[in-house]
Amino acid sequence: MLLYATRRFGLALLILIVAVTVMFLMIRAVPGDPVQIMLGPRATPELQARLTAELALDQPIWKQLLIFYGNLMQGDLGIDVFSGRSVTAIVFEQLPHTLALIFASILWSALLGIGLGAYAAAHPNTLIDRIAAALSVSFVAAPAFVVALLSLLIFAVHLQWFPAIGAGEGFWGRFDHLVLPAFAIGLSWVGYIARLVRASMLEVMGESHIRTARAFGIHERRVVMVYALRIAILPVVTVIGVGMGFLLSSAVFAEIVFARPGLGKLVIDSITTRNYPIVMGSVLISTGLFVVSTAMADLINAWLDPRARTAA
Amino acid sequence: MKIEWTKTALGRRGFLKGATALGAAAALPVGLGGRAMAAEGGTVRVRSYGDMQSIDPAYSKGVIDEEIHAAIYNKLIQYKPGREWDWQMDAAAMIEQGDDTHIKFALRDDIGFTNGFGAMTAEDVKFSFERIVDEATDSPNKPDMGPLSHVEVTGEREGTIVLKEPFAPLWSIALPYITGNIVSKNAWEAAGGKATTDPLAESGPYLRDSWSPKEKTVLKRNPDWKGEAPAWDTIEILPIDDENTAEIAFEAGELDFTRVSLGSVERYRAGVPNGGTLLEYPSLYYAWLGMNLDHPKLQNKKLRQAIQHAIDVPSVLEAAYFGAVEPSTGIIAPGLAGHRPQSLVPPQADFAKAAELLAESGETNVTLKLDTLNKTTFTTAAQVIQATLAQIGITVEVNVLESGAFWASADNEDLQLVLNRYSMTPDPYYATSWFTTEQVGHWNWEQFSNDEFDKIHAEASQLTDLAKRDEMYRRAQDLMEESGAYRFLTHEATPVIHSAGVVPALRPDGLALLRYFGTA
Repeated sequence: MLLYATRRFGLALLILIVAVTVMFLMIRAVPGDPVQIMLGPRATPELQARLTAELALDQPIWKQLLIFYGNLMQGDLGIDVFSGRSVTAIVFEQLPHTLALIFASILWSALLGIGLGAYAAAHPNTLIDRIAAALSVSFVAAPAFVVALLSLLIFAVHLQWFPAIGAGEGFWGRFDHLVLPAFAIGLSWVGYIARLVRASMLEVMGESHIRTARAFGIHERRVVMVYALRIAILPVVTVIGVGMGFLLSSAVFAEIVFARPGLGKLVIDSITTRNYPIVMGSVLISTGLFVVSTAMADLINAWLDPRARTAA
Repeated sequence: MKIEWTKTALGRRGFLKGATALGAAAALPVGLGGRAMAAEGGTVRVRSYGDMQSIDPAYSKGVIDEEIHAAIYNKLIQYKPGREWDWQMDAAAMIEQGDDTHIKFALRDDIGFTNGFGAMTAEDVKFSFERIVDEATDSPNKPDMGPLSHVEVTGEREGTIVLKEPFAPLWSIALPYITGNIVSKNAWEAAGGKATTDPLAESGPYLRDSWSPKEKTVLKRNPDWKGEAPAWDTIEILPIDDENTAEIAFEAGELDFTRVSLGSVERYRAGVPNGGTLLEYPSLYYAWLGMNLDHPKLQNKKLRQAIQHAIDVPSVLEAAYFGAVEPSTGIIAPGLAGHRPQSLVPPQADFAKAAELLAESGETNVTLKLDTLNKTTFTTAAQVIQATLAQIGITVEVNVLESGAFWASADNEDLQLVLNRYSMTPDPYYATSWFTTEQVGHWNWEQFSNDEFDKIHAEASQLTDLAKRDEMYRRAQDLMEESGAYRFLTHEATPVIHSAGVVPALRPDGLALLRYFGTA
């Protein structure tokens, strides 16, 4: 297991380096003079020249890349062009908001999705199964931005149960402000996970070890919850790991619609203003999150199912 | 296969227990007493379209920063809230123009800086103004200070602003806007000459209490402020990029003041939720269709004129701006010196004349590319222009660009037609500055170059005779239009809504002057 984990994290590091390098090159390939965009139309040529030199934009791209990695090795992500603040501080100010949103979305969608899928699998071809199927497909089909706007209009404007904008203060304030955005971006995952768990459960329930468990007279609930669900949940773990990436991108729109602070909004604002240090800092952290979460999903899979370790 | 679950008996009592628990859970986020509304407890919540970038006026990024700076610092003069452009005294107890290049001032004696930096003196004024034009400061706002030479300190609170040459925008831009903010010399020098995001010393009616990046800026009443007491204990400024989100937040009672989208104006005209009010202000922005005079396809003046006449401005405004704005006559908005009552080419298309001009041009099979920003307003406007130009046989390909690429159009040698929009300050000098020969290759994308225009731009900014200035700037816009390189569209509009408890104080272009916000 240790060897597998070492190899998996080595691969994760390699993926991170490749992804960050590609992003570094892509952002520089975008048209437009970044210094002009950053400083605006009224900046003097001297100021533009100074910022160009400060950001090493007058250097060849390969040298800029080396400078970036050199600074990164020393834990220096640079300085924000506009505010003069450390990029690390800015990114880590926003990160908790995005993480909270992603984890809240995953948590509620996984709990409900697994429950719904397992219950449907336990009652195949019944009315409950059909209702669960209809609900799941509806959830998957509902565009997140429509859910976001409708939930805002219903729960924030009409009923005034939840706040419409911001991230709130204090534990309950932050919890309160998470409900609608997490609901909006997690809803389609409920349906997706439910369908996945149902299909996986039905497959597992037909396997020989389940028949053996039953033959030993183990209680049906234990058979389902322990022997079947443990195996059936494996694809869900993988999907959740990969889903972190999708949820990161969903977080961008949720942060805009709900006017929440967060990494996604920071990246969008920074790309628009060509604020390279912030873009690279944010990309590094978000790519790192994605790579680590997929690696963690693989490790959990390997822990749950030793065959995965052997196969790797 | 059917799996049997151990069932829980759900009787009437069980159902009631469960329902009660669910109800309690649902009530939790409501705080059992409904949500706290905006404009409660002496707090007013206003929307800004972006987040603060710098607390230092020298490095202000524009309106967003200035909304905060104007509340926590003082200027000699401030914009006066209302429908007409005017200014009023702020830190100045006296200010007068001695001659064209000398402005004498005396400060009030009751303004002090926080953090122990003492009373505001003329040395602070000198430091604040001179650092803007100092090369070492590298301030992107330096052009706003114009030809400032220096500030002579003649007493503890008296001084004279000395210009190298006359500069009319001093009274409309330099003093009442970004560069007019007075900071504490001692505080700034102690900090090495520059502030980033934390205030070093404040002096206004409000103090910046906290800043949560991308989330909220909180201003609190300054307990040591000796001027007219501000109406609110707290002002919360929320950076909300999306206007639809801001409208929803207002309707949910979480905002007291916000600009709204032009598409929502009609709805709000019928009534604003929560007893609120819609206010419609004109804007200073100007949008136009530009034609690159250097492009081989647009060398023919008759062709350009045909394009001018074939664009039906009312149709563009109806489709792209929901009919909520008026056609413009140039680059200078109503209310400012130099505004033209009408353009040379009427806003309505004249297809017969356009076709005639096209025939006279001798151009056939004309195909042009129209560059535009990737915003719905502009892409819609571009499509209408595409459709109207098709009526005289001109084919237009719409080229939608992301903002970074669009704003780099000066480097685009193949630029042909461009749908553009520039921001503006309340002085015509600011508008003409982008269309001079000097700006070719930078922001003058039409490559318009006219000696008379350049002369007007240089001379009119030095005139204090309002009537003469007015006439000169009108002539400047005539020259632009006569070149055939411009079809002026609109100055847009600034519709805002506010809740019943708030009396907003706004500039004539609808921008907020937070320090003057009142209570109903």
